[in-house]
Order: sequence, then structure tokens, then C-alpha cells
Amino acid sequence: MSETPGEKMKHLDEMTCLLYAERQLDRARALEVSAHAQECEACQTLLRALERESRLLTRAMLEEDEPLPSRLAVFQERARRALHWIWGLAFGLAATGAYALYADYIQPWQRELEQAGFGGSNLLNLLIFQGAFWKGWQSMITVLEAAALMTLGAFAVMFLRRRMRRGGALAVVLAGLCALLAMPAPAAATEFRKADTVDIGKDEKIKGDVYIMAQRARVDGTVDGDVIVFSPNVDINGHVMGDVIAFATSVRINGQVDGNVRGANNNITITGNVARNVTDFCQTFTLDANGKVGGSLTSFSESFSQDGSVGRDMLLFFAHGTFAGKVAGGIRAKGDSLVITSSAVIDGPIRFEGNKQADVSPSAKLASPVEFHRIEKHMTYRSSSYYVWQVIWAAAFILFGLVLFALMPKFSEDAVKSAEHYGASAGLGVLVLFGVPIAAIIACITVVGLFLGIATLFVWYGSLYFAQVIVGAVIGQWLMGRTSELWPLIGRMAVGLILVRLCTTIPHVGGWVKFVAILWGIGAISLAIYRRFQPTIAPVAPAAPYTPPMPPNTTVGGTMPA
Amino acid sequence: MGWGGNAGLQYVIFADLCAYQTMETQRPGRMSAPGITEPAEAIARARAGDANAWGELYREYAPAIFRFCRRALPTREDAEDATMEIFMKLREKLGQYDTTRSFTAWLYKVAANHCWDILRRRKIRQDKETEDVESIPLEHPDPNQLEKLIEQRTSEEVRKALARLRGRARMALVMRYYSDMSYDEIADALGVRRAFVGVVLLRARHELRQALEGNAALAAGGVS
Repeated sequence: MSETPGEKMKHLDEMTCLLYAERQLDRARALEVSAHAQECEACQTLLRALERESRLLTRAMLEEDEPLPSRLAVFQERARRALHWIWGLAFGLAATGAYALYADYIQPWQRELEQAGFGGSNLLNLLIFQGAFWKGWQSMITVLEAAALMTLGAFAVMFLRRRMRRGGALAVVLAGLCALLAMPAPAAATEFRKADTVDIGKDEKIKGDVYIMAQRARVDGTVDGDVIVFSPNVDINGHVMGDVIAFATSVRINGQVDGNVRGANNNITITGNVARNVTDFCQTFTLDANGKVGGSLTSFSESFSQDGSVGRDMLLFFAHGTFAGKVAGGIRAKGDSLVITSSAVIDGPIRFEGNKQADVSPSAKLASPVEFHRIEKHMTYRSSSYYVWQVIWAAAFILFGLVLFALMPKFSEDAVKSAEHYGASAGLGVLVLFGVPIAAIIACITVVGLFLGIATLFVWYGSLYFAQVIVGAVIGQWLMGRTSELWPLIGRMAVGLILVRLCTTIPHVGGWVKFVAILWGIGAISLAIYRRFQPTIAPVAPAAPYTPPMPPNTTVGGTMPA
Repeated sequence: MGWGGNAGLQYVIFADLCAYQTMETQRPGRMSAPGITEPAEAIARARAGDANAWGELYREYAPAIFRFCRRALPTREDAEDATMEIFMKLREKLGQYDTTRSFTAWLYKVAANHCWDILRRRKIRQDKETEDVESIPLEHPDPNQLEKLIEQRTSEEVRKALARLRGRARMALVMRYYSDMSYDEIADALGVRRAFVGVVLLRARHELRQALEGNAALAAGGVS
């Protein structure tokens, strides 16, 4: 444009032109601009150029140059699931963290205190702090710790990813891996032995933990670590410097175990020496006259016989129990009948809760008389503590339901829907309620099936509670209307559960209400599982990226010709 | 009139002020423009807690929001993350949505606020930038040169140039020319006075032109 500076001064400035083109000027100014533009070719050109620039910008931004990432296309369906994994992982991490806290801090402190003379021998201490239940699972916990570490790593990467570019995140991951590799390797490796008969010979010495799966397992040598064994017959004649964890039909411990012994067995006989604690779920428990347990003893058995010595307390649940040996601590026992023979020497208090008075030999050396409590057959409905406990139980049920619904919202919703198929739920409920435990017990007979059977029993037992939660949710929906959303469903579950719990407190009828609720709920859960494994014909949501023809947004003349 | 026979641009100079004023609401593609129907039923169901309806809305709007984020934020990963976060936020805030107003406008408002927050957290908006904008020289460019520059550039070149802009300039252009937000909405999102929005936009256009010229120079240098 060939214009003199004087003429140029008369032109509209770009800001004014832009505001005019964008319809942002007030009436008076717009009129002036309009009048000027009618006359000035340069300003017309500028206005046109600005308008074209707007269109170019709009067109460039609106063009679909890249498809919607697949991660976003499936985000809607996956987001919630991902969140639930996070829930699960958070719980897992919390549990592992609690264990680490216990193992690294509480236990060493407790040991120090014991050495300083503060060691108590009450049964609560035995159960909670002595670690009869908790200690000794190191081998398995190691796996958990590794999983927790990896989870933390994944979280860190997810967190850092937002703040760093891909290269940076990759660097962090690689650095982490290098750090892991650089860490000192564990002093001992884990050995796996699987055969019909596994025999660790007398002269053999295994450095580290050993996992044994066999029809017959025999340890005559030395294991400088833990022995974890799945076998119908287990004999420990040698020296185990760690713990013995046994899932077996028959266990005989004739040798020396420096750590703890724990397991789920048909029968267990200890004639050797266990330096620390024993925890066992079994039919028959025998501590032979030569047997010795240095720590505490916890047993859930049908028949319990103690002739040897126990260094600390005993916590026992049995049908028939006999004490004939020495116990340095106290005893808390619950069962049908108890016999204390003349050879018994018990240094601590004895509390027995049973159906009849303990048969105590006058020659038995007891620190104090047996404190006997008769088992109450019926709950005292007049007692206020009964109602307090009912409230606590209801709260626990709601919490349990909340966790399960939050962890598995889709499955919970399916189970609630299945519960409305009353016939199918009831039929399947009978089958599962009685059939599954029988099948699980049969599975326990075989070596491979033992773990599966026990795991199934645990799941079955848990589902008895989950069943009541599901029934609570159905009843809540009856009262408050249906919903497909998670939190409203949880609210309905809480209301329904309170009602179910209230009904179960009704004398005489309550038990039946509970039974029906369990039957119904467990049937609904089974039906939901059954349906989940059925092939689905129509997918619920498209998995492939979906791009609509044109977003319902906005163009400044984007579709008009430039 | 000297419009080079381009009928499509003739409305730039309005026959009268009435046409000028009504043009703001009649611009093609305006979010609340007649003819653009929003899935009112799905919105209502989603507000009532229907997960399927929410899924419908997500599938309908996710591509547009992703593209918004892609244009506004520096990287693809940022845009993906931001899209997910925006929809999570939208779901939480759905109850607060005023049904008498445009859903799309509300959606973009949330998206713009979120993206601007991200940029702001990364200190992309700097005090210096504000100073630059304050001191912008309002020169009259050579209209013919400007027209030539715009005619020669492709959409892809514009996108590349856009990616090289600073956070606020890019954000302002995206809000105005992608999601067609009003000056008031832009002022609100960027936290500036309404009167300042035009300056921000003009400054952004200048930056874009510089980037486009830089691209051209680079291309020429590459060829020779």
C-alpha cells in the first residue's frame, strides 16, 4: 500500500478492527468504524484479513488430525474399575504396612521389654502381641512386600508421569530398577521340592526356606530357614531353624524347631522341641510327654492332649481336653469337657468355659483353682451389652458391605439383581451352602486340593456374610426404590442391613431369618458368578474408539467458505 | 465496496448497527445457536444418577474436549490426563449445572478452567508475560501482507505455530476460536478484566503470525 504518513494516521488501529470484527464495540464506536471502513480500502482489507485469520484458526483447531486415544475411549468403563483396584491395593498396602510396623518396631520393642522384666503372660497378650498368629509367615510376607513395593513404584510412576515427560518417567523407572538390582541379595534362597516322597536326608543341610509338596515329606537334616509343606504325611525329625508351616493330614514333630509351628491338619503330634509358639487348627492335637513348646500354644481342635511342657500361655478351643504336663503360663480354654490329671503342673491361672466342670485331680499342682464358666446356651436378651454388641455387629456388617461394594461395584450390583430371581437364588443357595463345604473338605484330602479346599472354605465362609449384605441391599431397594448407582445402592444396603440385623435379634425367629437371608444371598451371589462366566452376546459398551461426526461445539464460521 | 467479490465476508461491514449487534448471537457454530441440539434427555438422566446416560454424554463430548485440551496443553499426554480429570470433575459437578443454560458452554468453561489451572501450576503464565501484553504496540499492520500470510498458510502450519505459543496466548486463542467462548467467559477463565481480553487475543495473534513467519523462514531455509 502506498500511503503517506498523514493518511496512515487516519486508519483504524488493529485493536479496534479486531474488536469490531469480533462484535465487541459499543454502538457509537461500531458506527464510526463501519462508516470509516465503507470508505477506506486499507481498513477493509485489514478487517477481511482479521476475519480470515479467525476462520483459519478455527478450521485449524477443529480439524480432527488425531483420533481419540483408546485410553480415553474406554476410560468411562475402566475408570471405576481402576479405582477399585486402587482400593484393593490400598488395603493390601495398609495390611503389609501394619505387618512391617509390627515386625520392625513393635516386636523388637516388646522383646526388649520382656528382657527387662516387663513380659506379661496374659492371654490377650498371647493372642495379639506374642505373635502366635502373626509371626512366622515371613516367606509369604516377603512376596507381599515385593508386591507392595511394586505397587508403590507404579503409584510413583503414575504420580510423576503428570509432572514429567515420558523420558523422565522412564528414567525414574530405570533408576528404580537399578536400585533394586543394586540392593543386596537375600542371604538365603528359597528351594522348591515337589515329588511323591520328599526326604531331606540326615546329612543334608538346606540354606534358606524350603517349600515341599509331596505325598510324604520327611525332614531328617537341617533347614536353615522355614519349612512350608503341603503333604498328607509330614515328619520333622531333623532341625528346622526357622518356622514350620504345615498343611497336612498328619504331622509329627520329633526333632527341633527353632521357630514357630503352625498349620491346618488332621492330627499333629509333637514329641520334639519347638522353641517358640505353636498355632494349629486340627482334629487331634497331642503334645507328647517328651514334647516341649518354648512359647505359647494356640489350638483349635476336637481332641486336645497335653503331656509335655509349654513355656508360656495356652489358648484352646476343643471338644475334649486333657492337661497332664507342665504349663509355665496361664490357660484360657473353651470346650465341652476338660480333665486335669495328677501329673499336671500349671503355674498360671486357668479359665475354662465349658458345659461341665473340669475334672481336676487332687494331686495336680495348680497355681490357682480352675475358674469355671458355664457356656450360655442363649443370649440374654435383657442384657444391655447384648444390644451394644448387636449395634457393633450391624456397623461391622455395613462396613464390610461398603468395602465389598466399593471393591466390586459391578459384581455387587449383579448379585443384588440376581437376588430378585427368588427361585433360582433359593435353589442355588441350598446347593452352594451345603455343597461347597463338602466339596472343599473332599478337596482337602488330596495334596494339591488341600490349599484349594482351605481357600474355598475361607471364601465360602466370607460369602455367608456377604450374602446378608446382598439381602440387605435388596430389602433397601424395596423400601427406597431401585438404583443403578453405587453410592445410593450402598445407602440402601445400609438401611436394609439394619433391618435384617434387627430381624435376626427376634427370639426364636431370628435364627431362621438369618438362615433364610444367608441361603437367599449366597444363592444370589452364586447366580451372579454363574452369569458372569456365561458368554455375553451383546457388549455393554463399545470398546473401540468412538468419534462422533462433529462435536456440538462452536465455530466462528468454521464451516463457511473462507 | 472493494471486497474482492468474496460474498462470504461481506457481513464484516454491517449494513446497520442492528445487524452488528444481533450478529453476536447469530454467528455460525455459536454454542447456543439455534439448530444445535444438546442431548437434554441424557443430561437430565445423568443428573439423576444414570450411569448409562453419563456414558452417552461422555462418548458424545469426549472427542471435543480432548481436542480442546490437545490444542490448549503442550503434550498429548497432558491432554489425555486433562480430559479424564475434566470428566471426573464434570461428573462431580453435574448437580451444579444450571439446566437453563447451554450444557456445551458449561462443559467448555470447566475444561478451560482446568487447562488454565494446569498451565498456571506449571508457571507458564509469568509476570513478565503480563508486562509484555501491557506494553503491546497497537500498530497498524500492512493489511495486504497479513492477508497474503494467512492465504498461504495451511491448517497444519497453524497448528504447529499454535503449539509454539506461550500458555496464555494459546489458551486465549483456543477459548475464543475453538470453543467460541465470549469475552466475558474468557476474562473469567483467565482472571483478567474483560477490557483486557481483546489485548490478550491480539497479542496472541501477533505471536502466532511471528510463529507462522518463523515456520516459513525455517521451511525456506530447509529447501535452499
